[in-house]
Amino acid sequence: MFDSLVAANILQRPVRALVSVAGVALGVCLVMLFTGLARGMSNDLERRSSNMRAEILFTRPGSKELMTSTVNLSTRYVEELERIAGVEAAVPVIRYISQGSRGFGIEQVEGVEWAPYAAMNGMRLIEGRAPEGNNEVVIDETKARNNRVGVGGEIQIFGNRAYRVVGVYSPESGARIKMSLAAMQDALETPNKCSYVLVKCRDANEQRVIAERIDAALPGNKIQFTNELVLNIEKSIPYLGVFLRTLVGLAAVVSALVVMLAMYTTITERTREIGVLKALGASRGYIISVIEKEALLISFLGLVIGFAVSFIAGHLIHRTYGLVFEYGWSWALTAAAIGLGGGALGALYPAMRAAGLDPVSALSYE
Amino acid sequence: MRTILKAENLQKTYRVGSVDVHALRGVSLDVEEGDFLAIMGPSGCGKSTLLHLFGGLLTPTAGRIVIDDEDLTAATDAQRTDIRRRKIGFVFQRFNLFPTLSADGNLRLAERIHAGSNGAGNAERRREVLTLLQLEDKMHHKPLEMSGGEQQRVALARAVVTSPAIILADEPTGNLDTENSAIVLNMFQEMNYRFNQTIIMITHNPEAAAMCRRIIQMRDGQIVAPNVVVQI
Ligand SMILES: Nc1ncnc2c1ncn2[C@@H]1O[C@H](COP(=O)(O)OP(=O)(O)O)[C@@H](O)[C@H]1O
Ligand SMILES: [Mg+2]
Repeated sequence: MFDSLVAANILQRPVRALVSVAGVALGVCLVMLFTGLARGMSNDLERRSSNMRAEILFTRPGSKELMTSTVNLSTRYVEELERIAGVEAAVPVIRYISQGSRGFGIEQVEGVEWAPYAAMNGMRLIEGRAPEGNNEVVIDETKARNNRVGVGGEIQIFGNRAYRVVGVYSPESGARIKMSLAAMQDALETPNKCSYVLVKCRDANEQRVIAERIDAALPGNKIQFTNELVLNIEKSIPYLGVFLRTLVGLAAVVSALVVMLAMYTTITERTREIGVLKALGASRGYIISVIEKEALLISFLGLVIGFAVSFIAGHLIHRTYGLVFEYGWSWALTAAAIGLGGGALGALYPAMRAAGLDPVSALSYE
Repeated sequence: MRTILKAENLQKTYRVGSVDVHALRGVSLDVEEGDFLAIMGPSGCGKSTLLHLFGGLLTPTAGRIVIDDEDLTAATDAQRTDIRRRKIGFVFQRFNLFPTLSADGNLRLAERIHAGSNGAGNAERRREVLTLLQLEDKMHHKPLEMSGGEQQRVALARAVVTSPAIILADEPTGNLDTENSAIVLNMFQEMNYRFNQTIIMITHNPEAAAMCRRIIQMRDGQIVAPNVVVQI
């Protein structure tokens, strides 16, 4: 399919070909890395939230699900919630989102009373003990593995405060770092407050009735069912979708422009050769196809390199910063379509120009 | 003998700004199959213009051209390209080989374009032509690795390989020294004899013209001496 002329032409100008290939690869990388990150973080969060056993999440109105650090709910609600018929347990939680310990990405920390929280969610310590003191935390297995830190180790939270790891728990659920509720209240200077209260029902099928009872007894608060929480980052970060689509559009433009420039200089340089093709009887379609094939070959190489770089970069970033990348087929296809489509489209104008050249003046071109 | 090219009262006027340049002022010519025709005349008399008209690279301002029973002047742009693909082979003064392709690659490209969508090239024919032109050991060389004479022989091979109805050559020895000119002209003659290949060749060189079967002289866009038959 790719005749020798196409391959030979690319080899003729290796630097230009490489620059064009890199341009396409850049576009592909942009799409792959950003969408892979969004998806990876979203799935990671979803996995951890799915271990939540409580049916109801009780918060102040205006609190935004699980993505903010609001600490404005009085813990006296806990007792009142436990008094409501059908409620088995109520556990207060402070969720705090801080900058990642390496200054990149976000990291969540939760303050909970370990025993009731662990009992409610079926978690156990596989090493060490529960957090008690003001500078103690427990972490989940994944965090222990990724950060290569275990019992007796130290991690930094809230900027640069050092906390001692006193236990490692499993399975993962919610934030990967947990300290006692009191320690968190102390650190955030929010005594007797929490972010939300997790409510476990005696009978999960009764959750709607119980929610109505809670609303009647404690009106004016926000009651959500955990199985309805939107835990998808793509939905809970406003405009992330728009951002990703804009990115994809820009990547397409980058690929198209790079290839267009390359093919434009190519046809200018090869004006006389195009004249010869015409003298040999090559049709407009043939000339367009020769140039398009060259552009597609460049785009294809860019695509392959773009994918390779994305995977390697994703892996390295994951190892260095703990950010999770998950590449989806649909985004990979989008990236491929952008690389090839952008290249093909970018080459179209130069190709049409070449096809439209006057053969006699093309043949006398110096 | 069959008439393979018929030109009737061809006129070509170029417009340069507001000035009309009358490059051809009524040229009529019949070329028979198997002819080897030299066109001579001073620079600027319209020889290249005439050749480009025959090859369908240009359209005449007036007049008619019929090539191998196909009316070039009644054809659309795309049809003219198609007639050129099937019936014409060009040889230029500047060789115009594809620098990135070997001699054989240049021939294969011509074959591929000639064949259109249907069919691949004919390796046997390529070898036969390259051997006749004494290029068999240069088959895999790139143009820049060959002498001018060799390059022009490859260009001739490229034109001949698809067995066109007519080969149009515009000063094919204009860039060659005497020795290489003689070799290339011999090859033209060889193609004419062996394949009964019709050739129209522009030349400034009387010795080159003397190797043709027929010479026409042009001046100021007109044929002034048609049909000088060379005595062989
Ligand atoms: N593209 C063009 N535009 C304007 N004038 C042209 C063009 N091509 C050729 N001419 C003029 O037409 C005349 C014939 O040119 P040409 O056919 O190239 O002559 P020859 O090949 O015999 O030297 C010359 O006067 C030349 O200047
Ligand atoms: Mg000329």
